[in-house]
Amino acid sequence: MYKVFRLALREYLAAVKTKGFIIGLVMLPIFMSGSMIAMALLKDQVDIRERYIVVVDETGQFRDVLQEQTAYRNSNHIFDPEDSSQVQPVYRIEFVDADTSAIITQLGVLSDRVRKGEIHAFLHIGSSLIHPLENPENAFVNYHGESAALDDVRDWLRDPINNHLRRLRLQDAGIDETQIPDLFHWSWVTAKGLLTVDEEGNILDAGASNEIRAIIVPLVMMMLMFMMSMMGAMPQLSAVMEEKTQRIVEVILGSITPFQFMLGKILGGLAVALTSTLVYLGGGIAFLQWRGFESYIPYDSLPWFTVNLIILLFMLGALMTSLGSVANDAKDAQSLSFPAMFPMMIPMFIMVPVLKEPLSSFATIISLIPPFTPMVMTLRLASPVTIPSWQPWAGLVGVLVFTLFVVWGGARIFRAAILMQGVPLKFSNIMRWMTKG
Amino acid sequence: MNALALNSISKSFNGFTAVDKLSLEVPEGSIYGFIGPNGSGKTTTIRMIMNIFYPDSGEIEIFGEQRHRSHSDQIGYLPEERGLYKKMKVRELLQFYGELKTGRSVISEIDPWLKKMDLTDWASQKVDALSKGMSQKVQFISTVISKPKLIILDEPFSGLDPVNTNTLLSSMLELQKNGATIIFSTHDMATAEKVCDYIFMIHKGKKVLDGTLDEIQNTYGTDTLRIRCKNKATGLETITGVENVHNFGQTQELRITSGVDHQKILREVMASNTLLSFEMIKPSLHDIFVRIAESKEVTSV
Repeated sequence: MYKVFRLALREYLAAVKTKGFIIGLVMLPIFMSGSMIAMALLKDQVDIRERYIVVVDETGQFRDVLQEQTAYRNSNHIFDPEDSSQVQPVYRIEFVDADTSAIITQLGVLSDRVRKGEIHAFLHIGSSLIHPLENPENAFVNYHGESAALDDVRDWLRDPINNHLRRLRLQDAGIDETQIPDLFHWSWVTAKGLLTVDEEGNILDAGASNEIRAIIVPLVMMMLMFMMSMMGAMPQLSAVMEEKTQRIVEVILGSITPFQFMLGKILGGLAVALTSTLVYLGGGIAFLQWRGFESYIPYDSLPWFTVNLIILLFMLGALMTSLGSVANDAKDAQSLSFPAMFPMMIPMFIMVPVLKEPLSSFATIISLIPPFTPMVMTLRLASPVTIPSWQPWAGLVGVLVFTLFVVWGGARIFRAAILMQGVPLKFSNIMRWMTKG
Repeated sequence: MNALALNSISKSFNGFTAVDKLSLEVPEGSIYGFIGPNGSGKTTTIRMIMNIFYPDSGEIEIFGEQRHRSHSDQIGYLPEERGLYKKMKVRELLQFYGELKTGRSVISEIDPWLKKMDLTDWASQKVDALSKGMSQKVQFISTVISKPKLIILDEPFSGLDPVNTNTLLSSMLELQKNGATIIFSTHDMATAEKVCDYIFMIHKGKKVLDGTLDEIQNTYGTDTLRIRCKNKATGLETITGVENVHNFGQTQELRITSGVDHQKILREVMASNTLLSFEMIKPSLHDIFVRIAESKEVTSV
């Protein structure tokens, strides 16, 4: 085993002693969470130019309330409470009479004004909005703008319009809204966990189900596994291909067996990935403890995470090294890297449905399919629901058997292919090497 | 005792027989030259000795024992295609290869070898900064730094200038003096003639020559007439009984058909040329190599 560890040590040092590794260690999470970081950094970078909105109100009922609400917002909600600097844009609303005989023409003219930059957007309120059942076709509120779907003004208009609608309907029904002071007090449906029983038999109230705990923690674990696979296993494919094409492998095979060679490379990659994991996990835990968010640290999921990560890296390492031995050049390596990434990519694609329903048949079955077990089972285990305790163990047995098979088959392919130059990259060749050695 | 014994080993690839029932005995402490045309099976034979390929049939013995995985630790191997990690520093690389072979530290042996090969100043440089000749010498050190008892060098002199060739040759002789057995393949017949105790030739997977240089030459007899003529020699190819003429400019070598009277050949040469000198010689290894390589028939020995 000394030779295997010596080779693994070389692989490890060759990877971690480079500037690329250090830069990658820092940059990879930044790239992975780039959009979130960008959003956090740019959240105060708001365009505070005035928003000029034209309203075409076919009901004639919203002029006063929208003017009033806009004025209130412009006075109270656009300034920083600490330094009174303006942090949100001023909204200006202009009402125009609806030309019901030529409404399309009118809307077309307004669209041109938006395009010319004279106005920001325009709002078109249908004539039947207050009583939609009378004429559903005209019961609409349309917001027209160049980027209407993502426009903050559209979001802001929702409450003033809907609250006023209810007020108008109550008036029509002859109900005095002042008799119902909490009329517009909306309630949220709060997500809560399950009640528990403590050691003394007391039933404890359920805590609020935390969105960070429910979504971010499994997501982070999954992303961490993905990143570690990219750092620890994926590079093996091109590394073996280079060692093969540069004939280094023949020198090495003069000292050790192909299986030892393969094992040394897998262990080296595993050590690289575990070093990175240690940095990320240690750093993450320390950061959360420092900021007082210790409750978000999923200590109970960490052992399974570690076990599944190691198995995943072993499985992918065997896959990558054997495929690397088949490749004759960089083009072959590139072609092979795509299917080789399936065990990582498929769990990423199905992440959302698994996270939403961790106990569904789909989530259960796919987490027990060996190539996907490490990532999908980790995702399920990190979710707030309780996974039946037999499932992680069943998954572990399955993935261990599969990994042994991959290592065995990979070693046979590796041994047969590693010294072959110029043999075409064919599935039939790979299968022949695996079955016949 | 034999350092290496091959007992009728064969190896085929997809129906093509690369090595065919090859037997060979390499005495301990000798320098054994492997020669043969390109694609004759030299490298396949060496890879089987190194356990990189398994023979389809036959047996390999190392120092009197059936070839076993642990024997690899006693064999230093320099492959035909050089394989060095380009991003590693020379010292680190030698340390790695040495430790991979021996399972122990070889740090103390690195500097003497670097000094011997005039590479001391390059110890801290990365391999990709070295010239081809330097890389070759580094590869050679990596082969012998583990003090192997059997050293196999596949084309060790290719690409080396005469100075570096001599450096490598003297190192090989020193290793032999210290008890190592050396097998090396080469296309340089002159070097093989000068250095090898035994020479073995493989052609189309079969052994076609095996023995000392004298033994090999004796099997061909004294069948070559070397002449030197005034002005340019002419009409040599048309003389009956001359199989082949090698023209070296100042001298010509005529291979005489077995049984033909040499005096008769000389008389015919003198009839059309002014002869300055002549001698009957044994064929050179180069000549023997060419004769075998050009022959369509392969006769195993």
